[in-house]
Amino acid sequence: MAVANIPTGSWDAVVIGAGHNGLVAAAYLARAGLRTLVLERRDRLGGAADTTELGPHLRVPSLAHTVGRLRPSIQRDLGLKGHGLSLVAPDVRVFAPRPDGEAIVLWDDVARTAAGLRGISVPDAQAFGAFDARARALGRFLDELGRSTPPDIRSPRLGDALAGLRLGRSFRGLGRAGGRTLLRVLPMAVADLVGEAFETDGLRAAIAWRGVRYGAVGPWSAGTAAVLLADGAGNDGGAAGETVYARGGPGAVAQALAAAARAAGAEIRAATVVTSIRTRDGVATGVVLANGEEVAARAVVSGLDPKQTLLGLVDPVALGPSLGWRAGNIRTPGVVAKVNLALRRLPKFPAANRAAASAGAAGSEPEHLLRGRIIIAPGIDAMERAFDASKYGRWSEQPVLEATIPSLADPTLVEGARSGSQVVSVIAQYAPYHLRDGDWDGPDREAFGDSVMAMLESVAPGIGKMVTHRQVLTPLDLERDYGLTGGHPLHAEAGLDQFFLWRPLLGHGRYRLALPRLYLCGSGAHPGGGITGGPGQNAAREIVADLRSRRP
Amino acid sequence: MPQRYDAVVIGGGHNGLISAAYLARGGLKTLVLERRHVLGGAAVTEEVFPGFRFSVFSYVVSLLRPEIIRELDLPRYGLDILPLDGTFTPLPSGAGRPAPIGPDGEKIGTGDYLWRVNDHGRTIRELRRWSKLDAEAYDEYGQLMVDMARFIKPILSIVPPDPASNDPRPLLPLGGLLRSFQRLTERQQAVFVQLMTMSASDFLDQWFETDPLKATMAASGIIGTYQGIKSPGTAYVLLHHYMGEIDGAFRAWGIPKGGTGGISEAIAGAARANGAEIRTEAPVAKILTRGGRATGVALESGEEIEAGSVVSSVDVRRTFIDLMDSGTVDAEFEAEVRRFKFRGSSGKVNLALDALPSFTALPGEGEQLRGAISLSPSVDDMERAYDDAKYGHWSRKPYVDIVIPTLVDPSMAPPGKHVMSCFVQYAPYHLDASVGAWDDNREAFGDAVVDRIAEFAPDIRDRILHQQVLTPLDIERTTGLTEGNIFQGELSLEQLFFSRPVPGWARFRTPVRDLWLCGSSTHPGGGIMGANGRIAALELLRSKRLPGRRRVA
Repeated sequence: MAVANIPTGSWDAVVIGAGHNGLVAAAYLARAGLRTLVLERRDRLGGAADTTELGPHLRVPSLAHTVGRLRPSIQRDLGLKGHGLSLVAPDVRVFAPRPDGEAIVLWDDVARTAAGLRGISVPDAQAFGAFDARARALGRFLDELGRSTPPDIRSPRLGDALAGLRLGRSFRGLGRAGGRTLLRVLPMAVADLVGEAFETDGLRAAIAWRGVRYGAVGPWSAGTAAVLLADGAGNDGGAAGETVYARGGPGAVAQALAAAARAAGAEIRAATVVTSIRTRDGVATGVVLANGEEVAARAVVSGLDPKQTLLGLVDPVALGPSLGWRAGNIRTPGVVAKVNLALRRLPKFPAANRAAASAGAAGSEPEHLLRGRIIIAPGIDAMERAFDASKYGRWSEQPVLEATIPSLADPTLVEGARSGSQVVSVIAQYAPYHLRDGDWDGPDREAFGDSVMAMLESVAPGIGKMVTHRQVLTPLDLERDYGLTGGHPLHAEAGLDQFFLWRPLLGHGRYRLALPRLYLCGSGAHPGGGITGGPGQNAAREIVADLRSRRP
Repeated sequence: MPQRYDAVVIGGGHNGLISAAYLARGGLKTLVLERRHVLGGAAVTEEVFPGFRFSVFSYVVSLLRPEIIRELDLPRYGLDILPLDGTFTPLPSGAGRPAPIGPDGEKIGTGDYLWRVNDHGRTIRELRRWSKLDAEAYDEYGQLMVDMARFIKPILSIVPPDPASNDPRPLLPLGGLLRSFQRLTERQQAVFVQLMTMSASDFLDQWFETDPLKATMAASGIIGTYQGIKSPGTAYVLLHHYMGEIDGAFRAWGIPKGGTGGISEAIAGAARANGAEIRTEAPVAKILTRGGRATGVALESGEEIEAGSVVSSVDVRRTFIDLMDSGTVDAEFEAEVRRFKFRGSSGKVNLALDALPSFTALPGEGEQLRGAISLSPSVDDMERAYDDAKYGHWSRKPYVDIVIPTLVDPSMAPPGKHVMSCFVQYAPYHLDASVGAWDDNREAFGDAVVDRIAEFAPDIRDRILHQQVLTPLDIERTTGLTEGNIFQGELSLEQLFFSRPVPGWARFRTPVRDLWLCGSSTHPGGGIMGANGRIAALELLRSKRLPGRRRVA
């Protein structure tokens, strides 16, 4: 293994985990002139931003399938394009078919979406523009919030006051009505948010989905409106949400980030397991590797989830019982499974044929619509019922799906495969990590896979017969293979109780975690999960400031 | 020639009466107008069946602000709160006799109960029977909740600021709050944040493992809400109900003598003593306005009453939609009012009993019947009850909170007989079309409640002499509470503090000058707390530069 030639004792920062946030943090740290080392347990870089080979020449996004939330400033600062990142953004964002042949189509163009909705509901078509505009206005504020380090409320310094003023100004920028709306809307259930605006159940569900995606919540759970709005913060998502693919799969994002980090001078080692964080007098001083080797660093930066970082890597004595108790209570209820498919050829979606003939889609081939995120969630109640099962430790028999067929927009994924081949990536909810009467390593894995196929079959009859490869990743796999505690893709549930100042824990929400010189740069930190790079970018800024300052 | 008052209060519920008492005490010529023949709104005592008197709607009191009791000298006007001791949670299938055998010959459960009482030592011993860890955590948890309630208590007397306003002055009380927040330990701060954001179930999971304990404690997080114990935001309601407990020294937790109507009568007595006039059977048809100003009210009888200020204790929708002509307030405000969520979720079953029922978990007429009896055997049961309601059905196996007031106040029923008050969730106001209308579901719903009780006390059916079933629709019809919501609007996070009832209008004033709100639709929400009525009156007096805090002569 490569660990033997890691020079010890001379690192400014050691980053644990080469997920996309770890790589972003490392790249920024290295650019700031800090000697930076990244250690990755797996053979591959990128964590959840990964591409899997299902079969020869059949490459599919392993977990996350779209990358449209990656912060533009990161792409710019790190020159990701120059490091090989190429993005593909189809004009269709969402295609939400129903078994009865109706479909909702959301485009990158608001007017086009509204035109298409007119055939379904005139009031909804009229309301869409205003809803989109409001989502964007509130999203702009949340983006500002997302770019800020939460203030230090225990011993505020001048910087915290200034940051507070800046946020206050941008809050005021929303206007009096906008500010009030924001405060009213953030703690709301997303079902209420879309219910206030639209009458068509399918449209409500297609939009509300992003409020519950990756969370152990249903559309009627409070706080899901905030998740929806935050999803569109800092990108061009609006009401429809982003649909952007990385050419070559999400692993291409990791490769570009790694290239940028290396170019800035960071060193990255894969297949290197960190077993603990070294401390002296309560200060983090480096990490210990599985082979017993110690790597000293002025700052230890964890890209892992906070629960695993605190309970798995930090000495419990250094942590103390109170913080240990709090860390143990960080909520990580994973409910997401992933089903990846390779198809002999594309099946027909009857709803796509009908939608292609409608006003908004004028001139589109039915197949074109399938380039968007295909959301299979027939209505708000159907989503809620799917969630209900998970409350009692059962997987949904009629799960909610977000499927993509990335090979349509990016044929390189199936280059060399038999002509007509496609790959499908399905995010499926709800599949709780804890099964009450079942075992993910037993028959439940494939049984859940079958229920996902049945849902797909309901809108694309015959799809099952096209399948040549099928992979079902359960929350247990997410934990074992990707190191996500509880199988939670966001490192910690995106609830109002784990938000901003208190993500992951109040008093530790400023990237400085538990011990001096220990930092959190992953999705468990503000502004949370998804492939944004936000936590990594923000954390790097704080680490650089600390290492440059004379204060301990 | 119309009569003229300084202030006319619409609605003689507890908040309306409290407001009137404070306004009169501040020197205003005040009139209260109550639609019904009886005062109290949802805090009324009525003889529903001959000889049997019921707290028809609200049935216990835990939140009534001590300063109100003190300032209005309510005991002098008859307020007497009798303590309720403990919470008894029976589990299905009886302990104390052989566990029943199921159809397949298997033993059903073990039959047990969880019984917490005011005697701390006894409760800890009982908890230890279930879980040593829980018994240890119980004290720590209790202390933490007291700390939290102490911290949040001042918020109950604050007039919420408008955070979107450019005027910093109303924000000043928040500064004090922030300072006292900073004085909390980091752990206390974290727990406070959790209380404001988490579900009751997740919150309690951090301390406890005993299922019936978590279910019963979490139940107070969903009372009056259209949420389940696993819904984020319900931990706050848990705290809301804890508020009364810290004032235990004032004996504020219990049953008012003579039923909850006893509270209303005492407040009315104080209001009259301060000079307020109270008229019953005087329904208001309309709030009169001129040039954007409230000038009085018109009664359904046609009579018009002029007033310098109109103070409405009815909910925000009744006030602005039902009692006002459309177009009096601007369209945006009206839209906000229409958006305010009521979604009543509770029903009530009042039973007249020939004798006490016997619970299989702990048979007999012992002390276990003298407190609250909570049918909340498990977290799943509680959550399933909510699942029914989410899709527009009343709970098939509802959560029931039972009190038998005759055990502490025998005057409520003929000698030897009893009244039993059963608060039920969930009974959603809006039933799904497939379920039908409430008027066609009342009986089935009542049966489901009695069936549920019979699971724990099989002899209940033989004890029932009379039964009154109140659906949310009945609650709305009788009390005027929109959609039967007992809190005049959901206590969900987006409807609290500066967003209650309308963002930017949480300061008891309204866009109509001289029209004020003082009911539970306003901060700090519902329950027989009275803070709303008191703060609203004090704000009104302050706006007229009248001394609100003058002691009664």
